[in-house]
Amino acid sequence: MEQHLQDLYEVLSKVDGYVYPNEIELNWSILIVLYPYITGLVAGAFILASLERIFKVHILKPTYGIALLTAFSFMLVATMPLISHLGKPFRAYEIMITPHSSSAMAIFGFVYLWYLMVVLLLEIWFDYRRDMIIWAQETTGVKRFLYRVLSLWTTDISPKAVALDNRIGYIVTVIGIPSAFLLHGYVGFIFGSIKANPWWSTVLMPVIFLFSAIVSGIALVMLIYILLTKVRKLKIDMECLDTIAKYLFYILIIDFVLEGLDQIHRIYEAEESFEVLHKLVFGKLFFTLFFMQGLFGTILPLLTLGTFQFYKPKEKIRKIIYLAISALILIGVFFMRWNVVIGGQLFSKSFYGYTSFKTGMIGSEGYLMAAVWLIVPFIILSFLLWLLPPWKKKEELPETQGL
Amino acid sequence: MPQHLKRLIGVFAVFIILFLILHYLLTPSSFGELGHYRAKAIPENAFKELHYAGSEQCSKCHEDIRKDKAIGFHAKLKCEVCHGPGLKHALYAGQFKAGQLPDSLLLYKPAERKDCAICHQFNAARLKIQFDTINTSMIHQINAIEHNPFDKITKVEFKCIECHNPHQP
Ligand code: HEC
Ligand code: HEC
Ligand code: HEC
Ligand code: HEC
Repeated sequence: MEQHLQDLYEVLSKVDGYVYPNEIELNWSILIVLYPYITGLVAGAFILASLERIFKVHILKPTYGIALLTAFSFMLVATMPLISHLGKPFRAYEIMITPHSSSAMAIFGFVYLWYLMVVLLLEIWFDYRRDMIIWAQETTGVKRFLYRVLSLWTTDISPKAVALDNRIGYIVTVIGIPSAFLLHGYVGFIFGSIKANPWWSTVLMPVIFLFSAIVSGIALVMLIYILLTKVRKLKIDMECLDTIAKYLFYILIIDFVLEGLDQIHRIYEAEESFEVLHKLVFGKLFFTLFFMQGLFGTILPLLTLGTFQFYKPKEKIRKIIYLAISALILIGVFFMRWNVVIGGQLFSKSFYGYTSFKTGMIGSEGYLMAAVWLIVPFIILSFLLWLLPPWKKKEELPETQGL
Repeated sequence: MPQHLKRLIGVFAVFIILFLILHYLLTPSSFGELGHYRAKAIPENAFKELHYAGSEQCSKCHEDIRKDKAIGFHAKLKCEVCHGPGLKHALYAGQFKAGQLPDSLLLYKPAERKDCAICHQFNAARLKIQFDTINTSMIHQINAIEHNPFDKITKVEFKCIECHNPHQP
């Protein structure tokens, strides 16, 4: 058979029913799944850090620094999946040079920049400035030079200056919370505002994205914290872990309820798109939605964490379960993004047909590329933890504690 | 103001100034003159090399084919849809005698099965059924693998144009 016709056959074998020609191929692939996922981890980790700082949950102290650095390392990578998805990545900066107010992506560029520069960078700087100056005196060589540069060659660590740092850091965090909400709400908005797509277009989308983001961010910090203490062969602060788990539980409930509400709303409204979505959910999304996102990512963690509120097994077992739960939640939220992004493109906007999704291992849109952008933040994080170890911070003077 | 805040503000000022400089340097010169785009993009595109001549040009020399085509099912198809861009051909082919066109002026003749299948191959997404009436804007579909693939006796592959005149199918 002719190659040409074979290609055509292969393409058409991907579709069921009636699909518009431009819907056969999925344009938003695995990398676009990663983008809301990674941004969500940033927002979530930051919210956990601010729990300690603003809401004065001091039990969470051991995770404060880790959470901040985690948020920062993931933030640095957050736009990379988007950029590597572009056909002409080197023109990506143009969105910032001539932005148009009607472009949701252009405005995202500025929201991102605001959050990276004004919130995360400043908070970390004010938090570490005193320590960097002290460490610069204690170390030599390249490390010393790095500390000098990073602290901008400042030397003032008088109680007054440190108190000022703390106050400004506090203000930055206060601004940071709405900013974190904005950052991730915005990602949800980008999907929720696409009115031609009934799977995306709901006003709840930003809120759902936000809460699943917080869930995933907290789970990530929990995971990193457990692994880090294991690597450093320290005894884990069980009280801190239990508190994280408690907050994780609360927010997971909210997230679950919101997502359930969204679905119930859809089912009850039963708009003209309902039938196609119903078939989608029970067909191509069945496994990723009901098993990966629903059962493993939500119900199982919810039940376990819920049980722990009444009955706590031995610490050793609890630790292992926490590790497993946080991993499950991370996978679950990943598949939540998957179901939104990929699911929204699997059905035809004519509501009469479906296409299917295949991605290869290699290529600029393959799984390997996606894996790279998931691993790079951990490399950055290890570097940051080496450079700015939160556990080596000198205890602050009592009178400057917690402003 | 303490020294370290001054430095920090200085660093931010440097960043902002740097951004403004980059913004100034990277914004295309004609940007915004006519709207939120590069005004020069218009002449740039206008001066692009032309490739297509348009069917009116073709019929100047191939009037017979135009007449044939005008009464057939392919009446609405433009010549260059099948033969490819033909501006050069339309400009210079007149200087040559029949059968002596140089290769650079020859146009593609879509005589293979796959060429017709581009439009006629069965594709659910391209069905267009209007009130059950025959409508010439709706492309009839065949399954190119099953539709008269080869001669039943000699087993030689059939080309579509052996049975259908491409200009008057
Ligand atoms: C100035 C007159 C002229 C114009 C205008 C013209 N052609 Fe031709 N065309 C010729 C001549 C002369 C030949 C050579 C005839 C031959 O070899 O028998 C030819 C041959 C062809 C051939 C056959 C080439 C081959 O390989 O046998 C095709 C196909 C063709 N023209 C298509 C077109 C199309 C499409 C257009 C419009 C874009 C067009 N022509 C415009 C003069 C013209
Ligand atoms: C459906 C596609 C199609 C369209 C539209 C079409 N042609 Fe053709 N044309 C063909 C094919 C296929 C051949 C080759 C026929 C052959 O090899 O016997 C051909 C051959 C020709 C030839 C070569 C003469 C010959 O009989 O071999 C000329 C000249 C030509 N076409 C001109 C035109 C002109 C002028 C138009 C527009 C009025 C036009 N064609 C539109 C498909 C098309
Ligand atoms: C650019 C798209 C296109 C290409 C290429 C094309 N056709 Fe067509 N064809 C059409 C359109 C449009 C019609 C008119 C609508 C209809 O009747 O299906 C048509 C009609 C026909 C019909 C009449 C169908 C009927 O109504 O009974 C036949 C037969 C046909 N084409 C054969 C061919 C052959 C053979 C070729 C290859 C040389 C070819 N076509 C290439 C678009 C194309
Ligand atoms: C052996 C001769 C022969 C060959 C080769 C052939 N056809 Fe046909 N074709 C016919 C006949 C006869 C009909 C009308 C009867 C029918 O509908 O089957 C027809 C009908 C068609 C129709 C109209 C179908 C409809 O629904 O009305 C199209 C379109 C068509 N052919 C395209 C092609 C294309 C494209 C090719 C090459 C891939 C091709 N044909 C090859 C003989 C042929």
